Amino acid sequence: MPTPINDAAFEYLLARAGLTLSDAEKAELKSVCDGIATFAERVRKPRGRMAEPALTYGFTEEDL
Amino acid sequence: MAGAIPTIAEAARQIAAKKLSPVELTRACLDRVHALDDKLHAFYHVTEERALAEARAAEAAIMASGPKSPLHGIPIGLKDIVDTKGLPTTCGSAILQDNIPDTDATCAEKLAAAGSVLIGKLTTHEFADGGPSFDLPRPPARNPWNTDHFTAGSSSGTGAAVASGMILCGIGTDTGGSIRGPAALCGIAGLKPTYGLVSRAGVAPAAFTLDHIGPMAWTAEDCAIMLQALAGHDPRDPASADRPIPDYRAALGGRIKGMKIGVIHHFHETDHKVGTATQQGIDAAVETFRGLGAQIREVQLSPLQDWHACGSLISITERAAAYEEWSRTRLGDFGERMRTRLMLGAFVTGVDYLQAVRRRRELRAELQAAMADLDVVLTAVFAAEAPKLDALPRWDTFQQPSFMMPFNVAGYPAMSVCSGFGSGGLPVALQIVGKPFQEATVLSIADAFEKATPFRDRRPPAA
Repeated sequence: MPTPINDAAFEYLLARAGLTLSDAEKAELKSVCDGIATFAERVRKPRGRMAEPALTYGFTEEDL
Repeated sequence: MAGAIPTIAEAARQIAAKKLSPVELTRACLDRVHALDDKLHAFYHVTEERALAEARAAEAAIMASGPKSPLHGIPIGLKDIVDTKGLPTTCGSAILQDNIPDTDATCAEKLAAAGSVLIGKLTTHEFADGGPSFDLPRPPARNPWNTDHFTAGSSSGTGAAVASGMILCGIGTDTGGSIRGPAALCGIAGLKPTYGLVSRAGVAPAAFTLDHIGPMAWTAEDCAIMLQALAGHDPRDPASADRPIPDYRAALGGRIKGMKIGVIHHFHETDHKVGTATQQGIDAAVETFRGLGAQIREVQLSPLQDWHACGSLISITERAAAYEEWSRTRLGDFGERMRTRLMLGAFVTGVDYLQAVRRRRELRAELQAAMADLDVVLTAVFAAEAPKLDALPRWDTFQQPSFMMPFNVAGYPAMSVCSGFGSGGLPVALQIVGKPFQEATVLSIADAFEKATPFRDRRPPAA
């Protein structure tokens, strides 16, 4: 289970994203932050530093 | 025309034989719009005068030199995130209520070049994501099988309009299931093509690397006709594939005997267990394909939750990036559903996003290996028939993994076809997934299924 987000981190991330929310919106959003963290845990696998992301460049004749 | 809703293929045959007038067909569709759309809310903007002018021009051209394509004189609709020159393109948002593009999206241009007749712009969840929302400028679309029920989204208007015969086909877009979902719940056919096959140029983004444009119509054959007009390289789309385009319709009617079909049982039987009608539909479809001579295999992939998490993180982040400027300056102008979706972006870190993108490559390789010796794989589209519109969970993305998202993550072609009806009388569906750029195979199998089952004979009561 991911660690629940604390109030300071929650406010910091909202401020950094430039989002101005009502108290009700904040309360609702806070209730689903764990869902995002669970998603993030699911995509972390032991894959080592060499594993490429999906997008790598394949240059074609047109790029040259 | 009254009462009869032809498929594109049927209408095209009659138009070519000069037994059906495009003007008469267009008027019949417009009559249905006038009769039904107060209840279904499938259209934002009906282009009646333009449609009749296009139909008259099509008729004159066909009388003079025959149809230039099977879409010549066929009434269509465009999801309202598709740019249309000189016509409102609102993306279902208050933010773009006055937006009138000065160019057409490539898909709109291609359908016009094929001779289709534009009936209007269709309802969408806000920016193809935030919906259904009741605080947008226009109400959400309603399901023609039962107007208390959801159409699914975000191509909600296209699903409702095709199912009810207000148009013969329409454009949908699909970032995590927005073609296949409304196709499933409205009982029509919808194909999300391979990523890059159909240009996204001029279509509002939801998530750049997951967005697909594709056909929605009553049958697989009609989707093939539409895809023929839509597919092809477009330098305006940086992700556009430059590949030869086969004759999709010519591939229909081929033999199913000897085809190898995989079933991802664990997706819909354990990872996210579907309801009785959906399960029976899949089981019956497997038996139908077996009866047609296909070999059936079991397929094992990573849990559905892994695919859903990967696609969701990418989708949340790319959407937040695309709409960041308005999120910072006009957040209150979005509908409540879109607003909440955009807020989620604040909680995905850069590293989370990139781990999702790395996971994407692994999942895609896994699917590639699993399908190496198969033609298609099958699973569900939704767990059950359409829920009531006023009973939708707000945060369903955290509660139930999507059966459709895996194939946006992988970029593989995937299609929804009607596989029966639930106890409430609404449709359920089957998802058929092919290998990259093998739309002809997917369409061929979908067409064979439709022809072997009675589900295309039944239209919604509202039609």
